[in-house]
Amino acid sequence: SAAARRPWRLFGAMCLLRLPRITQPLEKEEEEVAALMEQIELEKSVYSDHEMRKLEEEEQLKRKMESLYDEDEAHGKTVIMAQDLEEKWEQKFLQFKPAPRITDADKSNDRTSLNRKLDSNLMLLVKQKIGNQELWLLPQVEWQPGETLRSTAERAMATFLGDHIQAKVLGNAPYGIYKYKFPRAIRTENNVGAKVFFFKAFLQSSDLSQAEVKADYLWVTKKELGDYLKSEYLKKVNRFLLD
Amino acid sequence: PCRAQPKKKKKVDVKKEQAQKERMKKKLKKLEKAAPELIPIEDFITPLKYTESNRVRSLPALSPEESERRVLLLKKWCLFKQKQDKAEKKAIQALVDSQQEALKELQLESEELYQAAIRRDEGLFPFERDGPSYTPPLPGYDPPEGKCIDITKVYTQ
Repeated sequence: SAAARRPWRLFGAMCLLRLPRITQPLEKEEEEVAALMEQIELEKSVYSDHEMRKLEEEEQLKRKMESLYDEDEAHGKTVIMAQDLEEKWEQKFLQFKPAPRITDADKSNDRTSLNRKLDSNLMLLVKQKIGNQELWLLPQVEWQPGETLRSTAERAMATFLGDHIQAKVLGNAPYGIYKYKFPRAIRTENNVGAKVFFFKAFLQSSDLSQAEVKADYLWVTKKELGDYLKSEYLKKVNRFLLD
Repeated sequence: PCRAQPKKKKKVDVKKEQAQKERMKKKLKKLEKAAPELIPIEDFITPLKYTESNRVRSLPALSPEESERRVLLLKKWCLFKQKQDKAEKKAIQALVDSQQEALKELQLESEELYQAAIRRDEGLFPFERDGPSYTPPLPGYDPPEGKCIDITKVYTQ
């Protein structure tokens, strides 16, 4: 629009979230109630076919121990007992080794890796130069006339991670805003400050080895954001992040 | 004189056939009007073999301390869930407030950007995602091969 130039510069920033891959550990109350529910379910149930078979075979064994003439029946038949089956299944289960929930990246605290903290959301932070300071921020670029703010945010993501990122942007509307005024030295009538609009997206592709990352980057959880972001910025960002 | 009788027979036959047809149609209508048979829900019918008495589990009876402990645990659980629910609702409200503030500021800035922002995003739904599992996927895992044959009974009305 050909209106007078606004005094605020507009930026679009993208908060890229890697969603959790494993479940969070249960709280103490949750574990207690889960155990209680299992117990109640056991009490209200009746014997299943497998358990009936096991009970009958135990009876048969007992009778065999006490009396000797059942041996004639059992000769020639190799009977698989239910107990043997259970032991076989137990062995098979113990042989399977699932992938560990705490990965190597967790142990070494490698914050650039996506394999860390698999049970929580990870956010992308990049180091950008604002004015004459190098700051850790959510990736942002300045808005250019002719594009919507959502495309600005997508462009910000592409600038730092390359074009081959598959991310699902959650809607056209911004999730949060950070407004700041420039220091007095740079402030003019037409250039009072900047407004950064945040958009949220879910990372779809789990493999970022093809991404050409242009600057220093980190993947951090919501709790670790405080280590990197300035307090005012952090306050605005925390409002639209669910833990 | 010979002509009249065959004519009568034909008429009577035709009338009888028509009456028969109408009776059949009425019977069909009655059958159709009757309510369709309800489809039985397999999960709600316990198969008869599980009602036999030798299947009943023999467990020690609950002691009063145990039932006391259970009641107190359920009360604690009630409180825990209430707190969790309140925290979730608060977080969602904070999300909505933050978005409203952002949209207000955007409207102050530029009307056309605001209109673009409040437009519905058609590509967002349907949105499908697999939930988290207990352990992460094992790289190079070879699942056992096999075929799954569906034996659910399908009822038609």
